[in-house]
Amino acid sequence: MALASLFGCANDPAPNEQLKLTEQAVAQATAVGATDDQPDMATAQSKLTQAQADMADKSYKDARMQAEQAELDARLAEARVLTEKSAEQLAQVNARLERLRKQLGAAQ
Amino acid sequence: MNRIPRVLSVCLLLTSAGLYGCAGHQNSEKALQGASADFQKVKNDTNVLRSAPKDVIRAGELLGRAERLSSYIGSGDDVSHYAYLSSRYSAIATEHSQLLLNQEKLARLELERQRLQLALREAKLAGAQQQGKWAEDQVISLSTQQNERGLVMTLGDMLFDTGRAELKSSANRTVLKVVQFLQFNPKRVVRIEGYTDSTGDSQENLQLSRDRAQSVADVLSDLGIEDERIQVEGYGDQFPVDVNTSERGRAQNRRVEIVFSDEKGKLSAAR
Repeated sequence: MALASLFGCANDPAPNEQLKLTEQAVAQATAVGATDDQPDMATAQSKLTQAQADMADKSYKDARMQAEQAELDARLAEARVLTEKSAEQLAQVNARLERLRKQLGAAQ
Repeated sequence: MNRIPRVLSVCLLLTSAGLYGCAGHQNSEKALQGASADFQKVKNDTNVLRSAPKDVIRAGELLGRAERLSSYIGSGDDVSHYAYLSSRYSAIATEHSQLLLNQEKLARLELERQRLQLALREAKLAGAQQQGKWAEDQVISLSTQQNERGLVMTLGDMLFDTGRAELKSSANRTVLKVVQFLQFNPKRVVRIEGYTDSTGDSQENLQLSRDRAQSVADVLSDLGIEDERIQVEGYGDQFPVDVNTSERGRAQNRRVEIVFSDEKGKLSAAR
């Protein structure tokens, strides 16, 4: 049992691809304007840092799990930023429409 | 010599893992229930299904994996992990769906905006035609001059009521001319600058000058000029063009200037 779990650990391959994916996801979220002020983004970044530390320790399973979670945290942060931006745009267009209607009312 | 303690510590670790296992199991059970609830919600939302089917499928797959793992002893961490990933996919699906809904709504509103812009332009044109030439010559103090700041058009004081920021309808003709000019010169941009005379509180003057410039910008924008082409500045009682000691001079100083860029879109620097 102990041996199996030891081998299990040893056999976990280094999640290089996953780390790349996660780094890309974090970079992409940053590019659309996600910052550490967002809980999801802060989580993503701290988990990525943890994953990198686990990689250095050769704790590959932990590294993979942290990186997988960080990837989705970052993607969620990115999605939230985009949704928020579109909501702001909506509010802007609505304000403009309101102004237009008022002007039209005054012009007629 | 060294091996025995190591084996012992591994045993101890395993035992302690087993002890924590109970708490871990409860946590993973909770995570699993949460993920399952999240998944049910997105699965039953037709909007989410329509706009983010892939995310929903991923959430379902990961939830299935977490559920399968939960029947094995000592898999608490893995269960929590996959439950977490599943929940995240559900949340991402919800966000993507909301984004798409917003974008669809934006497209509809944009059409409505274009329709209203056209209607407004027609209304202003009709108004301007009624006022006829008299309005242009008498009411609108409109002068355009080329100086070191570029092409500058001055909208006189009489286009605003005292202390108010809204542009009066007597400005229709001028405004339409500016809009037409900007549409024929799509690369040109403008800076709209508000000025007041020196009577009254200078802070209020600054605000009024800014508000008047903004209301001119709003009208241009309402008539279809892109916001990116319009800058707004308020200068209060700075940069008078005449003395503030006479009524005539003060009236000259109360103005909005429209500074046009050159045909390449290069504006003179703001003051």
